[in-house]
Amino acid sequence: MKVNKEETRGELVTPGEVLGKSAELKAGKGAYVSPHNKTVYASLTGFRTLTYPLPDSPDTRPTVDVIGHKAHGAVPEIGAIVIARVTKVMARMASADIMCVGPKSVREKFSGIIRQQDVRATEIDKVDMHSSFRPGDIVRALVLSLGDARAYHLSTAKNELGVVSAESAAGATMVPISWTEMQCPLTGQIEQRKVAKIGA
Amino acid sequence: MKAGKLRFAKPNKYWVESSHKRYVPCAGDTVLGIVVDSKADNFLVDIKGPTLAFLPVLAFEGGTRRNIPKFEMGTLLYARVVMANTGMNPELACMDATGKAAEFGPLKDGYMFESTTGLSRMLLKSPPCPLLETLGKKLAFEIAVGLNGRVWVNASSPSIIILVANSIMKSESLSPVQQKIMVDNLLQRVQ
Repeated sequence: MKVNKEETRGELVTPGEVLGKSAELKAGKGAYVSPHNKTVYASLTGFRTLTYPLPDSPDTRPTVDVIGHKAHGAVPEIGAIVIARVTKVMARMASADIMCVGPKSVREKFSGIIRQQDVRATEIDKVDMHSSFRPGDIVRALVLSLGDARAYHLSTAKNELGVVSAESAAGATMVPISWTEMQCPLTGQIEQRKVAKIGA
Repeated sequence: MKAGKLRFAKPNKYWVESSHKRYVPCAGDTVLGIVVDSKADNFLVDIKGPTLAFLPVLAFEGGTRRNIPKFEMGTLLYARVVMANTGMNPELACMDATGKAAEFGPLKDGYMFESTTGLSRMLLKSPPCPLLETLGKKLAFEIAVGLNGRVWVNASSPSIIILVANSIMKSESLSPVQQKIMVDNLLQRVQ
C-alpha cells in the first residue's frame, strides 16, 4: 500500500452523502464511487478524512475515507480472546465488562457472562464461583457465543484463560501461586481464584 | 474494623464483641427476614444487611417444584443464612443443615420490632438471660430472635405482647441484676 503523507479530519458524514467527484477524489474506506454519475458517496457514518498521496505517484487524486465512529471499533467475535473485568459474582455465574478484544480496546461497552459450567474444564458441577472470581478481577476469556441480547457468553475453561490480575482484600495486586491460589504481597493472605497460566 | 469489648475463651480464642444497629451477614446465623420480592428461583428477603438476600424457592422441608410456598410482600420469615460472601447476595434457607423444618418458616401474627445485634445475642444466650427467665415465669408468650437485630413476640393478648416488647427494648444497657429488678417492678405494677 502507498504511504501517504498528510491527513486532514473533516466534518461528520452519514451514508449517502456526497463526498466529491470521482475525477477529484478516490474512494477509500467507507466510501464508494457511483458509476453512472461519477460521484463519490459515503457508505458509513463517520468523519470525512482526506489522505494526500506521495508527490511522485502517478495518481494525484487524494483518497477520501469515512472513519472515526465507534461502530468501527473492535467487536467481540466467536472464538476471540477478550480481556474483561468482573463486575458481579453470583451463585451460578459471573458478569464481566469486556474491555479488549485481542490487542485492541473496545470503543463501547460489551457485557459478558461466565457461567458456572464454563469456568473450568474439570468437575464443572462443583465449581464455587466465589473461589474462582471476585468483583474487580481482570480475566482473560474466550467468547463462546453471542449469547442473548444482554451479554456475550464467555469461557475460562482452558489453562491460559482465567484471572490475570486481581486485588487482595488489603488492596495490593496479588501474585499467583498456583492455578487456584493467589497471594497478597502485603499481608501474605492467600485467596482463591481460577488463575490463568501466562508464559511458556 | 470494630470497637468493642475484648473477650477470651480458653484455650486460645480472643474476639471483639460490639453491638450495632446494622447487620453484617455471616454464614450459620439465624435471622428474621422480610420478603420484598419473588423471582423465578428465589425470594428476595431483606435481612438488614448491605444487600438483599436470596431464599431459594426449594429451600424448605419437602420442597419441590410442585409445592412452592407463596409468600406475599411483607411476610416475616425465620431463616438461616447458608452462605454470605462479600460482594455476593447472601443465601438463606428455611430448614436446618439436615433438611428438617425446625421452627424455620413464616411467622404469623405477633409483633416484630428492631433491636441492636448485641441485644439479640444477649437474648439468645444459654443459660437464658434473667430478663426472659423472669418474664417466662409469669407470662405466656413466644419469641423469635434474629441475629440481624429483629425480634418477634407473640402472645394471646396484645397487652402481654406490649409488655414483653417494652421490657426487652429497655434492657439493652442493664446488667443481669438490674434486668431482674426492672422486670419484677413491671410485673408488680401490672398484676
